[in-house]
Amino acid sequence: MRKLQAVLAVAVLTMVAIGLSSCGGSGGKEGGTLTGSYASFPELDPALSYSQEGWMAMYDTYLPLLTYKHADGEEGAEVVPALAESLPEVSNGGKTYTLTLRKGLKYSDGTPVKASDFAGTVERLFKINSPGSPFYEGIVGAERFAKTKSGGISGIKTDDATGKIEIELTQPRGTFTNELAMLFVALVPPGTPAKSLANDPPPATGPYEIAGVEPGKGWSYVRNPQWAKGNGDAIPEVPSGHVDKIAIKLVRNSATQVNEIERNQTDWMQTLVPADQYAKVKGKYEGTQFRVEHPISTYFFWMNTQKAPFDDVKVRQAVNYAVDSEALERIYAGQLTASHQILPEGMPGHKTFDLYPHDMAKAKKLFAEADPSDRKITVWTINESPNDKAGAYYAGVLGELGFGVKLKTINADNYFGIIGNLSTPDLDTGWADWLQDYPHPNDFFQPLLDGESIAPTYNTNTAQMDDPKLNAKIARLGSEELGSKQEDGYAQLDREFMEQAPLAPYGSIVTSTFVNDEIDLEKVIYNPTMGQDLTSFQFK
Amino acid sequence: MEGRSPWYLAYRRLRRNRLALAAAGLFAAILVFVLAAPLWAHQVAHTTPNANHTLEKVEVDGEVREVVDREGKPVGPLWLGAGGRFFLGADGTLGRDEMVRLMYGGRISLLIGFGATLLATLLATVLGLLAGYYRGWTDATISRALDVLWSFPVTLLAIALGLALAVGGLRIGPLHLSGGSIWIPVLIIGFVYTPYMARPIRGQVLSLREQEFVEAAVAQGAGPLRVMFGELLPNLASTLIVFFALGVANNMLLEATLSFLGVGVQPPNASWGSMIGSGFELITSAPLLTVIPGAMILLTVLSVNVFGEGLRDALDPKSKVLLEAHAGTPEPQGTAV
Amino acid sequence: MGRFIARRAAGTVLVLFAVSLIVFLIFNVIPDSNPAQNMAGRNASPTLVAGIEEEWGLNDSLPQQYATMMRKVFSGDLISYEGREDVDERIVEGIPATFSLCIGAAVIWMSFAILFGYLSARRPGGRLDRLLTVVSVTGISVPEFWLGAVLLNYLAYRLGVFPSGGYVPLTEDPLEWAYHLLLPWTTLSILYIGLYSRVLRSNMLDALGEDYVRTARAKGLSARQVMTRHVLRNSLAPIVTLFGLDFGALLGGAIAIEYVFDLNGIGLYTFESLINQDLPPVIAVVLFGAFFIVLFNALVDVFYAFLDPRVKLGRSAR
Repeated sequence: MRKLQAVLAVAVLTMVAIGLSSCGGSGGKEGGTLTGSYASFPELDPALSYSQEGWMAMYDTYLPLLTYKHADGEEGAEVVPALAESLPEVSNGGKTYTLTLRKGLKYSDGTPVKASDFAGTVERLFKINSPGSPFYEGIVGAERFAKTKSGGISGIKTDDATGKIEIELTQPRGTFTNELAMLFVALVPPGTPAKSLANDPPPATGPYEIAGVEPGKGWSYVRNPQWAKGNGDAIPEVPSGHVDKIAIKLVRNSATQVNEIERNQTDWMQTLVPADQYAKVKGKYEGTQFRVEHPISTYFFWMNTQKAPFDDVKVRQAVNYAVDSEALERIYAGQLTASHQILPEGMPGHKTFDLYPHDMAKAKKLFAEADPSDRKITVWTINESPNDKAGAYYAGVLGELGFGVKLKTINADNYFGIIGNLSTPDLDTGWADWLQDYPHPNDFFQPLLDGESIAPTYNTNTAQMDDPKLNAKIARLGSEELGSKQEDGYAQLDREFMEQAPLAPYGSIVTSTFVNDEIDLEKVIYNPTMGQDLTSFQFK
Repeated sequence: MEGRSPWYLAYRRLRRNRLALAAAGLFAAILVFVLAAPLWAHQVAHTTPNANHTLEKVEVDGEVREVVDREGKPVGPLWLGAGGRFFLGADGTLGRDEMVRLMYGGRISLLIGFGATLLATLLATVLGLLAGYYRGWTDATISRALDVLWSFPVTLLAIALGLALAVGGLRIGPLHLSGGSIWIPVLIIGFVYTPYMARPIRGQVLSLREQEFVEAAVAQGAGPLRVMFGELLPNLASTLIVFFALGVANNMLLEATLSFLGVGVQPPNASWGSMIGSGFELITSAPLLTVIPGAMILLTVLSVNVFGEGLRDALDPKSKVLLEAHAGTPEPQGTAV
Repeated sequence: MGRFIARRAAGTVLVLFAVSLIVFLIFNVIPDSNPAQNMAGRNASPTLVAGIEEEWGLNDSLPQQYATMMRKVFSGDLISYEGREDVDERIVEGIPATFSLCIGAAVIWMSFAILFGYLSARRPGGRLDRLLTVVSVTGISVPEFWLGAVLLNYLAYRLGVFPSGGYVPLTEDPLEWAYHLLLPWTTLSILYIGLYSRVLRSNMLDALGEDYVRTARAKGLSARQVMTRHVLRNSLAPIVTLFGLDFGALLGGAIAIEYVFDLNGIGLYTFESLINQDLPPVIAVVLFGAFFIVLFNALVDVFYAFLDPRVKLGRSAR
C-alpha cells in the first residue's frame, strides 16, 4: 500500500507540475528583447507627436494625468486615471476640473513628479507651438499665454504639497476629460526645454523609457527603473510589461517588413500589411500571427453644400446611393470596413444604420428628379495610394451618374491645405478622411460638420455644412459630459446629418497586428486610440 | 568619279550598318504600337485608358472571372482569351485595361522624350551659338549660368521643379498651364537638359569659328545672324542630329524616373514611368505590371541609342570633334538622372 | 597656382549662392504651400498658426527669410519643418549609406569599365567587342530604378538570395554591409559600366592611332606593353574628367536606388524632404552636393593639368 501511495503521490505531483507549467494564467516567458519595425519615423516628443504611430510609441513611456484603459475594442475607449488618483471632479457647470496627483511618483531620472509640472507641461505646449495646443486653448488664460509665451496660465492652479490640480475653462467642454488623456499633456519635469526633444526624449513616467534614438534609423526602450521602485505599484491601471527591452527599426518598405517577420528576423511590424500581400498574409497567419485591428476613423467624399450642384440634397443623396462599397472594398484590397455613416464603429454613440444602400438605378432617378443645371464639377483627391484610387473611382461613379468630371490629384502634403482654403476655385467635391483624436463623437461632428468651424483657411468642414439647428445640437452635446444619454443624442445626430447627406462616407480602414511565431498574439492588446500596447507583448 | 555630298555618303554608311537598321526597325515597330492605341482601345478592348472596371467580370473560355477579386487582386494577362480585352490583364484595383494604358502611356512617354529634347536642342543651339560666336561677356554670362545649373544635382532640380509646378501649374504672362498638363514635364526636362547640350555645342562653335569659311563670310559682309545661322549652324547639323538622338534616350529615362517618384506625369495621365510607379505597389502579387512598362522603356531607349550610335558612325566615323563632344556630354542618365 | 585657387574659390561661392537662391525661390513659388499649415496639423487654430509663423520667421520678408536660413545652414542650427529635426545631424547620419553606395559602385564600374574597354579596344570589331558593346548599350538604356525593383522582387523577395533592403553600417558588420549593398551596387553600376567602357574604348582606339604608340611599337614594345603602359594611362585622363562631371549626377541617381532598396542615405532624406516640401533639408543637401561637385571638378581640373602639361590651368579644358 505504501508503495502504491508513493507512486500515486508522484503521479499526482507530476500531473500537477505538468498542469501548472502548461496552462499557466501568465504562462509565457517574462523578459527578452522585442524587435519591431515601423515604416515611418514618429516624432518622439510627447508634446509634438500627432499621429497614431507616435502615440503608440509613447503610450507606455509618458503618462498624462489620465490615460486610456489598456484594453482592446470598446473597453479601450474608457478613460482611467494614470498619474492622477482618480477621474476629475467636474464642477462649476462643467467649467472646473479638479484632480489630485498620486503621491510618491518619480520620473525615470529620479526627479519627483509634482502637481506644478502639469502647468509647466501645458505651457510648454504653447511655447513650442505644438499642433496639440488648440485642444487646450479653452483653459482660462491659455490664449493670452499662447500669444505672449510668458506669465503662466492663470486657469491652472496647482498645489505641490497636496498634489491638487485645478483647471478652469472658459466654457463647459464635454471633451476635456479625453483631452486630459492625450499624450500632449503627459507630464514632463520642470525646466524641460521648449524645443523638440525628439532625438533626446525627456525622462519617462511609465513602465518603459526610451533609451536611445537614431534619427531616421530607429530607437529602443528599456524598463524604467522608477516603475519597479514605486510608480508601478502606485498606478495599477497601467501594466508593467513583460519584455525587458524593445528595439524598433525603421523599414520604409512595408513589403520588406512582411518579409522580415516571415523570416523571423523581426518580432513585430507596426505598419499595416501592404495591400498586395494582405490577402496572402491573412489567409496564412490569421489567428496565429496576424490579427485585423480597427482604429477609429471615417473615410468619406465631401460635397460642397454651399454651391450648385451639391447644394441640392437630392443630388447628394443620389451620390450616396451611387457609391458602391463593394467596389471600394476591392480598391482597398479588403482593408476597408464599409459603412455609410459619420460615426465609425468603436466610437461611443455609434449605432449602425444605412440610409443609402447601394442602388445605381435609384441614384440616377434621384439625379434626374433633381436635374441640376450645373453638371461640370471638379473632383479632388490626394495622391497617396490607395486613396488616390478611391478618388478616381468616385470620379468614375459621378461620371456615370451624369456629371462632367474633372479629376485633380494633389500631392499629399498640400492636399488638405488646398481643399481647406475657401478661395481655391472649383471646390466641388472630393476625397477626405478623418482619424479620431480621441473616442468622443464631438471630435467628428464639430470639425467636420459644425457651421461654426468653417474657416477661410485650414477649414476642416469641407462640406461647408451650416445648419443652425444641427450646429446648436453639436454645441449642446459637446458641452455635456459623455454619458449614455449623450451617446443616444449623438446616434440621433448621426442619422440627422446623414439625412442631409453632406458627406458620402464609405467606411474606415483597418490596420493589423502581425507578429512572428515567437510572440503570443492573443496577449497583444490593441487600443483603438493609442494603438498596440507595448506592455502586452510577450514571448511564448 | 562623281562627287557626292557628305550627307549622301553618310546615308550610304548608315544603310550598311545592319545593327542600326535593326534598331530603327524596332523603334518603328514601337511607334506603330503606340499609334495604334485608339484603334486597339475601341475595336478590341472596348474601353479607354482611364475607365474603371472594378466590379466587372469577363468571360474567358467559358469561365467567368472577376476583373478585380475581393482582395483587390487584378486579373492577370488574358491574352486573347476574352477577345483581346485585358490582353495584359488589369492594372490594379481600378481594373483598367493594362494593354490600353501601355499603348496610351507610350504616347506620352515618347511625346515627352521628344518634346523635351527638341526644346533643349533649340535652347542649347541658340545659347551655344551666341556664346561661341560673340565670346566675351556674352559667353561669360551664358557659361556661368550653365555652370550653376550644372552644379545642381540634376534629378533634385527636376524633382523640385516637378513638385513646384505639378501642384499649381505654371503661370507666366499669357502662358497658363494647369498642374496636370503634360507640357510641364516637357518644359522641366527640356530646361534641365539644356546645359548638357549647350556646353559641347559652344565648344564646337568656338573651334568652327576660327575656320576659314567663317572669315570669308565676314569678309563678304555677312552680319552676325547670317554667320551664326547661315554658316555655323549647318556645320553643327551632324552634331545636333546625334545629340538629339542621344538626348531622346536620356530624357525618356529622366521622365521615367520623375514619374516613378511621383513628380512627373500626374494622374489621370499615365506614362510608362508612372505605370512602373503604380506597379511597384503590387510588385509581389502582380510583378508584370512593373516589368512590362519597364521593358518597353528599355526597348525604346535601346533602339534610340543604337540608332544614335549608328548615326554618329555614319555621319563622321573618325570625327574627333564628335567623339570629344560625345565624351564631353555627361551622357545619358549618367548625369541627368 | 595661387590665382587659380583664388578664382576657383570665388567662382564656387557664387555658384553656391546661385544654387541656394534657386532652391529657395522654387519653394516659395509653390502655390498653396504653407509650411505653417503643415506644421500646425489638421486641428489648427489661428492662434497656433500665428505662433508657428512667429517662431519660424515665416512672416519675415523673403530676403530676410533667405538670410536667416543661410545663416543657420552655416552655423549648424538648421531645423527641418517636418519633425523639427537637426538637419546637419540627419545629413551626417546619411553620409555612410550614400557614400558606401556611390563609392562602392564607382569602384565596381571603373574596374569593369576598364576591363571591358581594354578587351574591346584590343580587337575592335571582333566578337568580344561586339558582345561587350551590346552589353554596354543595354546598360545605358535601362531605367535603373526599374532594374532595382525587378532585382529586388525576384532575387530578394522571391528567391531570398539577397536581403530585401535596408542598410547595415560597415562598422557594425562588414559582411552584412556588403551583402545588403550588392544589389544596389549592381543596379547602379550597370548603367555606368556601359557608359564608361564605351568612352574608354573610343579613347583607347584614338590613342592607338597616336604617334607615340607607333614610336613605342617601333622601339620593339609588344602590343600588350604598349596598351598597358601608354594607351591605358593616356585614355584615363578624359575618364577622370567625365567622372568629375558625373559625380553630381551620381548623387542624384542615388535617390532612386536608395528609395527602392530602403537605404538610409542622403538621397532618400532629400527625396522625403522634397515630397514633404520641407525646405531646410533641401537647401542644406543641395548646397552640400553642389559644393562637392564644384570641389570635385576643381580637383579634376588640377589632376588633368597634372597629367597633361600642355593644358594650362585656368583655361577651360572643355
